[in-house]
Amino acid sequence: MKTTDIIRRAGRSLRQAKTRTLLTSLAIGVGAFTITLSLAGGQGGREYADAIVRSNTDVRELLVTKESEDANTIAEYTPGGPGAVPSGAGTPGGPFTRGFQFLGTSDLEVMADIENVNGVTPNYSPSVDYITTKGQKKYQASVSTFSPTVSLKYAAGGVEGDLRDDQIILAEDYASTLGFTNPADAIGKTVQIGATKQRTIFSGAEAREFTYTVAGVSSESGLAFRSQGSLLLGESAIKELYIYVSEGTASYNRFLAASVRVNEPEQAEEVKAILEEKGYTAQTSADVLGTVNTFINVLLGILLGFGALAVITSIFGIVNTQYISVLERTQQIGLMKALGMSQTDVGKLFTFEAAWIGFLGGAIGAGLAVVGGSIANPAISEALGLGDISLLIFSPLQVLGVITGLIAISIIAGILPARKASKLDPIEALRTE
Amino acid sequence: MITVKNITKTYGRKQNAFVAIDSASFTIPDATTVAILGKSGSGKSTLMHAMSGLDRPEVGEVVIDGQDILTMKPKEVDRFRATKMSFIFQSFFVQANESCYDNVSLPLEIAKVPWAERKQKVEAALAAVQLLDKKKSRARDLSGGQKQRLAIARAIVNEPQIIFADEPTGNLDSATGAVVEDFLFNYVKERGATLIVVTHDEELANKCDARIDIKDGKISATKGLDRKAKK
Repeated sequence: MKTTDIIRRAGRSLRQAKTRTLLTSLAIGVGAFTITLSLAGGQGGREYADAIVRSNTDVRELLVTKESEDANTIAEYTPGGPGAVPSGAGTPGGPFTRGFQFLGTSDLEVMADIENVNGVTPNYSPSVDYITTKGQKKYQASVSTFSPTVSLKYAAGGVEGDLRDDQIILAEDYASTLGFTNPADAIGKTVQIGATKQRTIFSGAEAREFTYTVAGVSSESGLAFRSQGSLLLGESAIKELYIYVSEGTASYNRFLAASVRVNEPEQAEEVKAILEEKGYTAQTSADVLGTVNTFINVLLGILLGFGALAVITSIFGIVNTQYISVLERTQQIGLMKALGMSQTDVGKLFTFEAAWIGFLGGAIGAGLAVVGGSIANPAISEALGLGDISLLIFSPLQVLGVITGLIAISIIAGILPARKASKLDPIEALRTE
Repeated sequence: MITVKNITKTYGRKQNAFVAIDSASFTIPDATTVAILGKSGSGKSTLMHAMSGLDRPEVGEVVIDGQDILTMKPKEVDRFRATKMSFIFQSFFVQANESCYDNVSLPLEIAKVPWAERKQKVEAALAAVQLLDKKKSRARDLSGGQKQRLAIARAIVNEPQIIFADEPTGNLDSATGAVVEDFLFNYVKERGATLIVVTHDEELANKCDARIDIKDGKISATKGLDRKAKK
């Protein structure tokens, strides 16, 4: 029998048992629905993450660190030696330092010499003592560098481009702690940051207050994923603080990390390779995205698991339906065999019926998911405050993949009933009682 | 020509063994109508199944057109049945949910007859049993006699050499049965095909050129076979 004829007959048999076919298909449809939505959520999640990373990091920037030769052992202490962890406050301690070497001025020069590198900025992380403003107590503080390429959401104020040397951006909670009645109230006011010069730690303290004008108050952003730090200073302002605090200490001009800027975004990977060849560890914004995507993929995996569970359940539905169908149509099968239909063709007939059921279920489930998801998308975005970002993104290829996959699974589920049909003895089947 | 040599078919094993056919041998010449007569349980249906390759006797030969169908591979036997044989059953076995057209088209599909030829063949077969006007009706809407005529259309659509009919009029009243018989015999005579009717109806048997009587699995008498064969 020709395959097209078998497919036609299979479709016709299913139409003759409409309710049963539809119910069995719906069981698979539930799986198709879940899987399609999960995949769309995964796709949307990845694109959302991409948007976040893009707005939080610069695609032309690489974060460079240097791992010690043997990252798994703690480096031996050699006073003032190149690989040693410098003593004294002013360098962030903790587990992060373990296994890392500090970057010295020579390292920065090496990086700057690489082709297509536009600039190298070390991560200044001066340890400051407190922040205060007129008539207020002193509060603990830590400062970070403001990056003009990273998008910030402002509760009040804000800057275009880079911060000036005398400007600061406060986080919303700092603004309220420092006694400003509302974020707008803080704009234009001055705050003082106190820092201690560490070189003089043995010969008596030397401390100084630096004054900045509040240029903006940052609030939490829908797209902010990397901690922006609660106090942001311009690059040269933070460098000034750094020099004041660290100059003359063993940790002076030793940095945990540096930002390397390349000319064009496409060159980031290339420069990364060169840096790694030279013994540095470099992280591009694509790497950061990769980390976030791993997380999304885990979530996606869980959702897909539920979908798979629904599909597995529906497999038994298909097996059951097809068995009943074989029993019901014993005479028909017997007749077809008597008329010379081969075992293989009888098997195929039932396999195609199962495939039809899978196709129907897949199409119904995936179709409902696409329609329902498209309708729900604006509501979801609004509820989560995502703006015009869609969390569910349906790709035709994925939907097609889901349907194809379910057809394949249905065919597998149909193997046993199809075998039963093909092995049926026509004489038994045609016996009239 | 169909030559049956010494076939034996046993059901069950050891003490439960039941011999359905016991060394049956005969030859049916071409273009003959033969009735296989016997009481129920006499083995007449089994004999028909063996001759059509549906059943496989453990001993013996069934030679059709010089080929022993018992030594053929299952696929070859299927192909043989699809192209050279057809069946008519007591309870019709028409597909109630399908249209008359689709019922008749089934053997053509199985025999892989090209699309282009099917329509004409199906319509010719339906016309032969005067059911062309019912082409699109579902088989379930037909009367008993019409159903058996539909079965005849299905049996003749692929122009088989041999038609096996198992009690073809058993479920019909005598008037309807007679009509069905006429269609069947007319076709066979026109085409020079062989008709093998399994029945216990003497009247139907008398319409055939030859008869084979079977009793308890053994052929008790044959009539008309040799005469035809010599011709």
